[in-house]
Amino acid sequence: MGLATVLAQVAAGVVALHLLGLVAVVGRDGLAGAPGRVRANLRAVAPTLGLLVVVLAVNGVVRDVGVELSWLIGVNITGAIHALEGGFVAWVQSLATPPLTTYFSAVYVFGYAFLLTFPVVAYLACRSDRPVRTLLVAYAVNYALGLVCYVLFVSYGPRNVTPEAVDSLLYAHWPQAQLLTGRVNRNTNVFPSLHTSLSVTVALVAYRYREVYPRWTPVAAALAGSIAVSTMYLGIHWATDVVAGAALAAVAVAVGLRVTAPAGESADPVDGADPADGATGRWTDRVADWIRE
Amino acid sequence: MGDRPDAPPSNRRRKLLGSLAAGATLGTAGCMRRLRAATGWESVSPVSVGIKTLPADADPYALRVAQSVAGWFRAAGLEVSVTPVAPEELYRQVLIRNDFDAFVGRIPARLRDGDGLYPLLHSRFGSEPGWQNPFGYANLDVDDRLVEQRTATGEARREALAAVQRSVARTQPFSLVAFPDEIRAVRDGRFDGWHGIDFESPLGYLSLDEGSREASRATATATATAPSDDPATLRAVITDRRPTENLNPLAAEFRWTGVLTGLLYDSLGYEAETGGVEPWLADTWEFETVDGRPRARVRLRDGLTWHDGEPLTAADVALTYALLSDVTLGRTTAGTDTATEDDAAVAAPRFRGRSSLVADAEALDSRTVEIRFTECTAGVAARALTVPVLPDHVWRERASPASVGGVDFGATSEALVTNNVPPVGSGPFAFERNVPGDRLVLERFDDHFLAADPPADLPADVDGLPPFERVDVTVVGTDETAVSMVASGDADVTGTAVGAGTIPRIGRSEGVDLVVGRSPSPYVVGYNARRPPLTNPRFRNTLGHLVDQRALVDDVFDGYGWPAASPLAGTDLVPPDLRFEDEHPVTPFFGSNGAVDVDAARDAFREAGYEYDDGALVERD
Repeated sequence: MGLATVLAQVAAGVVALHLLGLVAVVGRDGLAGAPGRVRANLRAVAPTLGLLVVVLAVNGVVRDVGVELSWLIGVNITGAIHALEGGFVAWVQSLATPPLTTYFSAVYVFGYAFLLTFPVVAYLACRSDRPVRTLLVAYAVNYALGLVCYVLFVSYGPRNVTPEAVDSLLYAHWPQAQLLTGRVNRNTNVFPSLHTSLSVTVALVAYRYREVYPRWTPVAAALAGSIAVSTMYLGIHWATDVVAGAALAAVAVAVGLRVTAPAGESADPVDGADPADGATGRWTDRVADWIRE
Repeated sequence: MGDRPDAPPSNRRRKLLGSLAAGATLGTAGCMRRLRAATGWESVSPVSVGIKTLPADADPYALRVAQSVAGWFRAAGLEVSVTPVAPEELYRQVLIRNDFDAFVGRIPARLRDGDGLYPLLHSRFGSEPGWQNPFGYANLDVDDRLVEQRTATGEARREALAAVQRSVARTQPFSLVAFPDEIRAVRDGRFDGWHGIDFESPLGYLSLDEGSREASRATATATATAPSDDPATLRAVITDRRPTENLNPLAAEFRWTGVLTGLLYDSLGYEAETGGVEPWLADTWEFETVDGRPRARVRLRDGLTWHDGEPLTAADVALTYALLSDVTLGRTTAGTDTATEDDAAVAAPRFRGRSSLVADAEALDSRTVEIRFTECTAGVAARALTVPVLPDHVWRERASPASVGGVDFGATSEALVTNNVPPVGSGPFAFERNVPGDRLVLERFDDHFLAADPPADLPADVDGLPPFERVDVTVVGTDETAVSMVASGDADVTGTAVGAGTIPRIGRSEGVDLVVGRSPSPYVVGYNARRPPLTNPRFRNTLGHLVDQRALVDDVFDGYGWPAASPLAGTDLVPPDLRFEDEHPVTPFFGSNGAVDVDAARDAFREAGYEYDDGALVERD
């Protein structure tokens, strides 16, 4: 079947990128003794991993129901977003060239799958369990808040609203990709962009723990930036969705850092590496405390 | 525009407010009275129209039509918003809740016979949910003519239908956009007969033939996906999730052409290409006229069964007609003894034109049913024989009140809200399984009357069960993906029509054929005539002048569509004065090549009694 082929292609691509990443980012020194550390870290993060699995499972079940619910109680904000930003995505697309389309399509599908999975593997292999726990909590927060937004807001992406100005470049370029993205996303779920929020989450966590894998930070930042642009370039998301996704990422990482902070330093103001600013920090403090209780 | 002689009301308002601010004349009661009298006249509000339509994923053209039309309306000074809404939800809002100003979509009615206009436009259906008069259109002249055409024959009937079409073109309950070409990608070799079949009828699929062997072997080697290449399976790929979630033939918001439910449910007869209705589940029928009304004795074929093994009898047919005219089977009227008790009946929202032809139906014996019709000709009455026949033993209990979590939703019944999965039909294919939103699999029903000794003279060249044993329907999200599934050998046909934008892709793909056929279902801008200012036929007429059908066909449909001035275009029932030559003969576009002549539009709206304020069309509250 078409979906199986696409899945196999993506899996093969992502595995290849993982191998490359392990060599280039983790390196020979980092891999020495890694199996033992992975086992220890896995035990430590098992509850957090469980939380993420639960959130994903709920997400999977509720998403279908959520779409129905969304039509009942949600606000259709498609027109408002369109009015707010007008032809910005169309302008982004006016810069399209075939090589760029290939690049952004690949980044949107392969790069995204790699960016989300690789740091989990890499952080499991490092000495501390805190990076991977932070990341997993942040993922869970992304999905949970994302789902709430999807129920509250009904919104179609630019390719569905202004098809005369915006092409759905990904599907025109690689139609089978829709078999995969159609599984993951409903076309009314565009606000905020989870592609953006999860990518930015990875980049922020990479920056926070940049001492662990110094070479990972620029890679993660570049990929996250490309993915955020690709969602607009491919006509899937509005700029508004991308901005909201970045904000969601900031909240999620702040919560992740608070929840996983060692008991002694919990009340300390976040250090310079932390993406959350004052207002977000205070608000997330309370969320973090609530989660910890 | 600044040199218009009439000062816009906003200027007057500003002056008035200015004098109030100065406080010069506020001292006396007489002045207050004058102020109240004057402000009563100042109350104007901008005219706004919200257009609901389908997102681009669900329909290749609707959204772009809506955007273009919105642009023309805006040029004429209206406030317009365009909102994409998922198909099931759009049809729920438009057809069932009547919650819309305007919508862009297609009329599904099969209008080969003029009587299709009866449910679409007769005012008696204005308050009923479903595809019968969703516009809330009321025009006594049209009503009378619609009734007249049911009883008239020959030239008198043609004249009645011509009068209806002329009134509709002038009063615009909807603005016709175009009849689209239905574009499909089909896989070569596995099955034959794709060209020239009617894809909007189950009979189209039933008349497919086995493909030539060499070709199918070539296909098998050309693709690596051998298991799904099983020649016994017809694989259709569609972009509409709804048939995988709901198989209720009566649910207006879920059904479009009814092809899949048509494979599951038989009807007594089918409309023939040549006009008229030919027997299907019925063996024969005889019409006679009693008291000026037609009556038919319909004899069913021998040994018919439902998919669950129960025999199909005349009682099932009688129940079907009773349920179509009142889905509560008299529950809502039981106990009331007033003269108007029939008013409470809730008719099924599909097949309404046809069910309104039937007075009652009675089983005479297990194979004979007598159907008594309302006042009409036998030719029109025969249309009522094309509704799907439902099993009594499944549907009778669905006349109970619809309830969600124990709460009754009184007016309707379970028959309308059930998703009917799994369905029990009698059709040539039976339900096997479904994955909502994703997949639907039907399996050939070998106890069908087509199997054993297929009768000769079936409509649409059907000569027995088709060569495939299974119909496997997969849902994908976009037209491009649907076409690429056929191109890669993962599907045999795009079961829903795709947009003209995919034609180059179809042309490039090896082993894939392009099938283009003209659809009888036009795109329209439908107006809700229950809401001001759309209540005003003159206002709607002016909107009609703001739809450039030529530009839409060229730009949105890429030329794969036909502008028309009547919903009956394509039949021989259109009078010569309603032929669309270079422009709409009744409401020609104000402007040319998609550019609105703003002055002409403003003049027309002023003529219709509206005013402009700073370029915005306003009306008095």
